[in-house]
Amino acid sequence: MSDKHSAGEVPTTGHVWDDDLGDFTNQPPKWWMLGLTASALWCVAYALYYPMIPVSSSSIFSKGLGGWTAISEMEADKSKVDVVRSKFENKLKDMTPAAILADRELTEYVTRSGKVLFGDNCAPCHGPNGVGTKDKNALFAPILNDDDWLYGGKIDDIHTSIAGGRKGVMIANKDLLSEAELDTLAKAVAAGKPTSTPLFTEKGCVACHGPDGKGMAAMGSANLTDSVWRFDNSVEGIKQTIRYGVNSGDPKARIAVMPAFKAAGKLSDVELKKLAVYVYKFGGGKPDQVAEAPAAAAPAAATPVAEAPAAK
Amino acid sequence: MEGNSATPVKYDMEVVRWFTIAAAIYAVVGTLVGVIIAAQLAFPLMNFDLEWLTFGRLRPLHTNAVIFAFGGCVLFATGHYIVQRTGGTRLWSNKLAWFTFIGWNLIIVSAVVSFPMGWTQGKEYAELEWPIDLAIAVVWLVYGFNYIMTVGIRKTSHIYVSNWFTMAMIVMITYLHVFNSLAIPVSLTKSYSIYSGVQDAMVQWWYGHNAVGFFLTGGFLAIMYYFVPKQAGRPVFSYRLSVLHFWALAFGYVWLGGHHLQYTALPDWTGSLGAAVSLAMIIPSWGGAMNGMMTLSGAWDKLRTDYILRFLVVSLAFYAMSTFEGPVMSIKTVNALSHYTDWTIGHVHSGALGWVAMVSFGAIYHLIKKLWGVDKMYSDSLVNVHFWLATIGTVIYVVAMWVSGIMQGLMWRDYDEYGTLSYTFVESVSAMHPYYVMRMIGGLIFNIGTVIALFNIVMTVRTAASLRSTNAVAAHA
Amino acid sequence: MSDNHDKIYSTKFQDSMERKTLLMFLVIALAVAVGGIVEIVPLFYLPNTAMCATMAGNDPSCNKTQHKDASGKVIPMDKIIWNPATSAHKTLNDWQPGDGVRPYKALEMAGRAVYIREGCYLCHSQMIRPFRDEKDRYGHYSIAEESMYDHPFQWGSKRTGPDLARVGGKYSDDWHRLHLRYPRSVVQESVMPNYVWLENKPVDVAGTVQTLKVMTIVPFNAVPAKIYTAVYGDDYAGAAAELKGKTDMDALIAYLQGLGNHVKFEEGVNYRD
Ligand code: HEC
Ligand code: HEC
Ligand code: HEC
Ligand code: HEM
Ligand code: HEM
Ligand SMILES: [Ca+2]
Ligand SMILES: [Ca+2]
Ligand SMILES: [Cu+2]
Repeated sequence: MSDKHSAGEVPTTGHVWDDDLGDFTNQPPKWWMLGLTASALWCVAYALYYPMIPVSSSSIFSKGLGGWTAISEMEADKSKVDVVRSKFENKLKDMTPAAILADRELTEYVTRSGKVLFGDNCAPCHGPNGVGTKDKNALFAPILNDDDWLYGGKIDDIHTSIAGGRKGVMIANKDLLSEAELDTLAKAVAAGKPTSTPLFTEKGCVACHGPDGKGMAAMGSANLTDSVWRFDNSVEGIKQTIRYGVNSGDPKARIAVMPAFKAAGKLSDVELKKLAVYVYKFGGGKPDQVAEAPAAAAPAAATPVAEAPAAK
Repeated sequence: MEGNSATPVKYDMEVVRWFTIAAAIYAVVGTLVGVIIAAQLAFPLMNFDLEWLTFGRLRPLHTNAVIFAFGGCVLFATGHYIVQRTGGTRLWSNKLAWFTFIGWNLIIVSAVVSFPMGWTQGKEYAELEWPIDLAIAVVWLVYGFNYIMTVGIRKTSHIYVSNWFTMAMIVMITYLHVFNSLAIPVSLTKSYSIYSGVQDAMVQWWYGHNAVGFFLTGGFLAIMYYFVPKQAGRPVFSYRLSVLHFWALAFGYVWLGGHHLQYTALPDWTGSLGAAVSLAMIIPSWGGAMNGMMTLSGAWDKLRTDYILRFLVVSLAFYAMSTFEGPVMSIKTVNALSHYTDWTIGHVHSGALGWVAMVSFGAIYHLIKKLWGVDKMYSDSLVNVHFWLATIGTVIYVVAMWVSGIMQGLMWRDYDEYGTLSYTFVESVSAMHPYYVMRMIGGLIFNIGTVIALFNIVMTVRTAASLRSTNAVAAHA
Repeated sequence: MSDNHDKIYSTKFQDSMERKTLLMFLVIALAVAVGGIVEIVPLFYLPNTAMCATMAGNDPSCNKTQHKDASGKVIPMDKIIWNPATSAHKTLNDWQPGDGVRPYKALEMAGRAVYIREGCYLCHSQMIRPFRDEKDRYGHYSIAEESMYDHPFQWGSKRTGPDLARVGGKYSDDWHRLHLRYPRSVVQESVMPNYVWLENKPVDVAGTVQTLKVMTIVPFNAVPAKIYTAVYGDDYAGAAAELKGKTDMDALIAYLQGLGNHVKFEEGVNYRD
């Protein structure tokens, strides 16, 4: 403490610890003392304005004089965006997806607001902008930005797929086919010419994939002639698909489940419509002759998944 | 005059030596794990697909290693040192101090095994499972008892301010640990909290905040109050300030837990209560920062030559900064943005790297010299290098997290002109990438600094030991 | 000890605390206790804190919690918290989404342990705040009742990944399997670790059964034992049977698929007051 600065300074308290530790008798700065008082007052003021007193919220004091609640804050914030949205949303409420598609301004709105809806809910399965996602050497979920559709590419088909979910079923054929037959079929399918073997008809594939092997939108059976593949397209891979089927219940079956977003309550009706239009506008949507008469556009007879995963 | 230096007191310093060395080692380990988890967030490949090394298991290892292994050993080293020197007395029981050392290190070893194995209670900073919790309680109580008894047998009339803070830490951490850890075991390595949902959340963040408030802040203020005046060679700036800000912090800090739970499913009053008192904590916190700064203010000229003092000055600056930032983050509208984002992480590390680690290293260097009786480190320029690496590393880390945190918060809530969300969640994830890389680099720089410190310390100790042995030989001759 | 004549620069009381270790210790012990008591204790008896023993019949009102619908009518608590006695669905296995908050089933409980073990809560929150953007992104804000059976709570404090409070039913089981194994195979930008080992680990049957039992004896918000014994039997053999042959992956997915669909929320109701 022989420090040159100590000369002329205030004295210490006189206590000394460990040879040279002590403390000066300086007063805390004024601003600090004022600050300390202000801090205490601040707490009181805050407690009056905001809900801050831990008693049952029946009295006005515990609720705070300002009437603030987290929920009312949210409602106020929501109403701010609703001003912008409602112009569109009110119309969307009663429109069919097809009608929305016919309106340019609304389509623009919907594609904008569909971006995050799709990105947060669908892209994890269908890839960014619907380019598909890979599961080893196959697709995990169908590509949505091409014009190949399992369940049809009309706007209402797409809407049905999203709202109701999809779970295409192909039975396991392992007990119905000999190894040789399986081989023949798989090779024919791999070559994109399933009908080149009579087995295709004899073994009942036509029942689902159609006489020409081009699939039937009603049940979401794949088009086997277009070299667009959902699952593994090697001969071995195709054999596996044929042997164990798709969603057939066989433990080795291929699995393909699209969740039912309506039944699960995940998305609102308007959001479902937005997404249908959004997906349609990826470019692969099929024009719909009866767009103006929505009643006629009865959804394809494919079975929407009744038991969404949520309902288990 | 008390603490009469004419009759030198014999102190129990061996245990302090060991705690000091342990602290320096855990600083390297803890920040290395920090760098690894930072790398994992930047490059998920770094998880190596090994269950023991994935982010979710290493992160608790990091937080526990830096807080309880590094921070804990610093606190035990300085605590046992300060309580003796400011009381002019040996420890009440040297044996109990050794028990603390061995016990604590066994706990650390068990943590190093536990976390990679996935044995966790799932409550942040309190992850260790119940058998270890029991051990912690025992060791902590032994430490606390020994400490307070030593204060009790002091030779000085008054208790020095550092000891007030440490006593507050001892009491509060006991409360926190006991109540937050109450759980029912299902096996040796698994237990479930007796509280659930809302109540568990409040108990946890009462714990979480005050682990920060009393362990990482109170305990380290005790360090500040001893080593800053010592290193500056001047008395503490203001006794009244010490008194006022101590009681304000001890009483006030406890109320802050609610600021971690704003807008959650707790009743609105809890968040408001936490927020209001948080803002009221700026002034008491700055009381401590100012008391340290003003103590140094008579010794500014020393800064040019005294590298240890630099650590202390910078730590006080970061302390002032993060105790301003924290209250700001408690404001409802700010917390609405910052909660869940990297901003919190930035705040944590401006406190943890800038304040806790800096003040610790200031103290550690001081201790090494005193404990081994040398008047300079093996290399003073390496102390300087460490200082700059620590400062630069911290700044890079913290700036990266501020930018990414605020960006994250803004992206999540951004609406376009049509009134719909602008960004998907993964867009925010990929936007974070450059900042995660930057954080990793900042952390690595900081970590290299700790390695240099450890090297310097080991070399200092070795030279001191060889000096002593040659002296001893000479004396015999 | 020699300076009794010292001038006091603070107060007498402060000065005597600084002289008397025990006094200072006691005053500190009191001072640091207050805040925590004020903050925590009321949560055990105030309404809206989901501190209830509804199903056990002790406190059917959950400390007089009242949620009112848009027209001001009180929503019965058994619409929020599943009560087998009054619900149309009487057992844990019959329970349907929307029936109200229910305890975890055996497989979900095992999955929850995996969730905790792997530290998912360090990247994912399970607490949707009442903000317009969180509503748009994640769904209805979380309410206290939804985590009443969560020992410990898993709200998290960091969103490196998205909130998971309502992830149940958002994806198929198969997607989760793929995503948990290799997150980047489905979401390129993801920074989530690959959890490749989960599929090879059988679930901890004995531990989970023990956990179910412990959940019925925790002091706060315990699961009424009969909810479990009704479906698993008094010896919980049913639970063990349900868990047999399942992997940690199956369990974790079951847990995730059960998140967030318990309560059927109505528009315009303030569930926080
Ligand atoms: C869990 C993964 C998953 C999610 C999430 C998901 N899908 Fe699908 N989606 C699938 C699978 C798998 C199929 C194919 C089902 C089949 O083959 O039977 C499918 C089919 C479809 C189809 C029919 C494609 C066709 O070729 O006919 C459309 C349209 C579609 N999804 C749109 C969406 C939209 C929009 C969303 C977001 C709201 C979404 N999907 C979310 C997995 C998913
Ligand atoms: C019960 C109806 C049904 C029958 C019978 C059926 N399939 Fe299928 N098949 C489907 C459906 C539906 C899909 C598409 C599944 C999906 O993508 O969700 C499919 C898909 C396929 C695929 C995968 C195409 C791709 O893109 O990867 C192949 C190959 C295939 N079927 C071959 C056959 C052959 C060969 C037979 C006869 C032995 C057969 N299927 C019989 C319904 C059927
Ligand atoms: C290092 C951080 C990290 C860890 C640890 C982590 N996740 Fe994730 N998680 C992410 C990120 C980032 C995303 C967003 C990108 C994606 O979908 O992969 C995500 C997405 C998810 C999703 C999809 C959510 C949605 O709504 O799209 C689920 C489900 C999920 N994680 C579950 C888990 C589980 C279960 C664990 C633990 C076993 C876990 N996560 C551990 C970072 C993490
Ligand atoms: C080299 C230095 C360090 C690096 C690279 C580092 C890195 C990290 C990373 C990557 C995280 C996880 C962040 C996230 O989940 O997003 C983290 C968390 C944390 N670190 Fe560090 N760290 C370092 C040093 C320290 C030190 C010295 C301390 C304390 C004294 C500390 C205390 C913490 C705490 C408390 C958390 C948890 C934060 C929270 O949950 O909000 N870290 N650190
Ligand atoms: C008056 C002083 C302080 C106040 C009011 C304060 C306030 C806050 C707030 C509001 C948060 C964010 C909570 C959230 O949104 O989740 C936070 C987090 C945190 N702060 Fe502080 N802070 C203060 C000082 C400090 C200091 C000095 C340190 C470091 C040593 C620190 C360490 C932490 C840590 C570790 C977390 C992360 C908790 C978590 O895991 O989420 N704080 N603090
Ligand atoms: Ca613990
Ligand atoms: Ca945290
Ligand atoms: Cu805090």
